Amino acid sequence: MAKKLMKGCEAIGEAAIQCGCRLFFGYPITPQNEIPEYMSARMPQVGGVFVQAESEVAASNMLYGAAGAGRRCFTSSSSPGISLMQEGISYLAGAELPVVIVNIMRAGPGLGGILPSQSDYLQATKGGGHGDYRVLVLAPSTVQEAADLTMEAFDLADKYRNPVMILGDGLIGQMMEPVEFKRRIEPEDLPEKPWATTGAVGRGPNIVNSLYLRAEDLEQHNLALGAKYRAMEAEVRHETYRTDDDPDVLIVAYGTVARIARTSIDNLREKGLKVGLFRPVTLFPYPAAALAAAAARAKHVLVAELSMGQMVEDVRAVVAGRVPVDFFGRCGGMVMTAEELAEQAEKLLAVPA
Amino acid sequence: MPTPLIDVDRCKGCELCVFACPERVLEMSPNINAKGYFFPDVARVEDCTGCRYCLLVCPDTAVQVENKGKTTVRTDGLTETPTTYCPGCTHGVIHRLVGEVIAEMGVRQQTVGVAPVGCSVLAYDFFNCDMQQASHGRAMAVATGIKRGRPDLVVFTYQGDGDLASIGMAETVHAANRGEKITVIFVNNAIYGMTGGQMAPTTLPGQIATTCPTGRDVALAGYPIRVVEMLATLRTPAYLARVSVHEPKAIMNAKKAIRKAFKFQIDKTCFSLIEVVSTCPTGWGQQPHEACEWLEEHMLPYFPLGDVKAPEAAH
Repeated sequence: MAKKLMKGCEAIGEAAIQCGCRLFFGYPITPQNEIPEYMSARMPQVGGVFVQAESEVAASNMLYGAAGAGRRCFTSSSSPGISLMQEGISYLAGAELPVVIVNIMRAGPGLGGILPSQSDYLQATKGGGHGDYRVLVLAPSTVQEAADLTMEAFDLADKYRNPVMILGDGLIGQMMEPVEFKRRIEPEDLPEKPWATTGAVGRGPNIVNSLYLRAEDLEQHNLALGAKYRAMEAEVRHETYRTDDDPDVLIVAYGTVARIARTSIDNLREKGLKVGLFRPVTLFPYPAAALAAAAARAKHVLVAELSMGQMVEDVRAVVAGRVPVDFFGRCGGMVMTAEELAEQAEKLLAVPA
Repeated sequence: MPTPLIDVDRCKGCELCVFACPERVLEMSPNINAKGYFFPDVARVEDCTGCRYCLLVCPDTAVQVENKGKTTVRTDGLTETPTTYCPGCTHGVIHRLVGEVIAEMGVRQQTVGVAPVGCSVLAYDFFNCDMQQASHGRAMAVATGIKRGRPDLVVFTYQGDGDLASIGMAETVHAANRGEKITVIFVNNAIYGMTGGQMAPTTLPGQIATTCPTGRDVALAGYPIRVVEMLATLRTPAYLARVSVHEPKAIMNAKKAIRKAFKFQIDKTCFSLIEVVSTCPTGWGQQPHEACEWLEEHMLPYFPLGDVKAPEAAH
C-alpha cells in the first residue's frame, strides 16, 4: 500500500481496521476526537460497528462485552476519559479479555487542559484501576509507529488475553506524517477464541468473569496473572539513537519527547558533546535490562518527560544509583524545545561527574 | 391421580408451596433435609388437582408434578446448581421463568446472559447458557458490546434495582434509547439485598431500610423511580412491561411477558425490558408468604402491573 499523509489519530483508526477490528466504542474528548470521528465514517464502509457510548465508563464495559464475545474491539480517549474507563479496564484485566485502549494524553490533574502531556505514565504502567493488574503499554513516537504499534497491540492483546494500551500524547495524535499500513487481516482470518461467549453449542457454558469469592481461588488467579505479566517481558523493546560510542549523557525519553531529544542530541553532537538517546517503546513491560546496560556506560542519565517526573521513578529503580539520574520536565501542556533539553544535558557535562 | 413430587434436598423450607396450594395438599414436615431445612410433605395427595401452583411458586425448582402418567421436568435452561438465594426469595422463580423461556424457544445454545452486581452476581452459575459477569450497573453496556459484536446471539441482562436504576441508570436509559436488541430482566424488590437491606431507588415512601431506619423520607431521598414508565417516555420503540411473581397467576403472566420480550429480540424488533416486582423476605424482615402479601398490598399500588409500552405504539 502506498504511503498516505494522515493524522496520528486517523492512522491509529485505520490501523485497527487493517488488522481486522470491526468494533469501536468511545466517547468524544479532546484531543482525540479524530479517532471516533474517523471510526464513525470508516466502520460502516467495512461492515463494522461504531457506537458512541453514553460515557467512557459505558464504552469500557461495551468493550468487555464485545471482547468477551470473541471480537476484536477498541476504544480511544484522553486522560480524564481514561480515568473513567479504569473501572472497565480492571474488569477486562481480571476477566483476561483482549482489547486495545488508546490514550492520547492531555494535561491534568482534574479537567486540566487539552494540550499534550505525558502525565498518565504512572496510571498506565502501574495498573490504573483497582486490584493487582497490569496492561501492556506501547508508546509510539511517530505516526507510522502509531499505526504499526496499533496493529501489533491487537495481536499482543490476543496473545496474552490482556488489555493493551497505546499511550500517545496530543502531538502524536494531531500531527500529520506519511504512513503505510504494512499488512491487512480480515476478521474471518483471525484465530478462534474457544473461551468466548459465542453460544454453548457442543460444549458447556463459557463464563466471562472476574469474581472469585474464595480467597484461595483469587490468590491462584492473582498468581496466574502475575506469571502472565512476567511472561510479557518477552515483548520488551526499545530504540537507541547515537549510543554506539557510549555517550556521556544518556537521555531517556519516550513518545513525542524522544523526537525532541533527537534534535537536541544532533545539535549537541555538532558541538562535539557525546549525548545519546534511549527510548523505551514498551512502557510496561519496561526495557529494564537494556536500559541498565546502556546507563552503565554513561556518566549521566537525563530523563525528559512532559510531566512532573513519572517515568523517572522507573529509570531510577533500574539504574539503582550506579549513575546519577537527573530529570527535566515541562508540564501543564507546555512542550519543551530541543534547545531547552540540550541546555539541560549540557549543564550536566559542565559538572564533573 | 396427580401428585406433587418434592425434591427434598433442593428445598430451602420457604413454605411458599404450602401457602400456594388451593387444596392444602402440602404440610411442613417435622423433619429436616441435608441442608437443615424443614421441607413439605405431601399430606393429602387425594386432594391434589394437578394445578401445579406448588411448582410455579417454588424458588428452588424443588417441586415437580406427576399427572396422568406424565411428570413435569426441570428446565435445561438452568444448571443443576442450587441457587444461593435466601429461602423464599423470588429470584429463584424469575430464574426458572427465564431458563424455561430460552429453553422452550430453542435458543439456549445461542444465548448469552449478563449477570450484574447484587444478589444475582452468581447468576452465571445458575443459567445453563454462556454468561458474562458485569461490573455494577454496566450490564446493559456489556450486553450492547456482545450484541453489536455478535448480532446472531440472543442477549439478556438480569439486574436488580440498585444495579439497573441507581448506579446503572445512564446505561439503562441509553441502551433503551439506542434501541439495543437485547432483553432486560429487571428485578425490583425495593431494597438492596446483597449488601444487607439498604435503601434502593425503588424503596417505597416510608419503607424502612438499613440506610433509612425511620423509613424512606421522600423530602430527602425523592420518590421511588418507576423505571418502565420513565423509559416509556423515550421515543425509541421498545417493549416495556411490569409483572410480578408473588402468586401463581402473576407468575404465569410474568412468563408470558418474558417470552414476548425474547421474541421481540429474536425478531429484531426492539429493546425489551420486563420489570419483575419481587420479594426480599430477608431484607424486608418477613416470612416468605408474608412478603408476597406485603408486595401485593404495598408495592403493586405504586408499581402497577401490565404492558407499559409495546413497539408498535412508538410515538
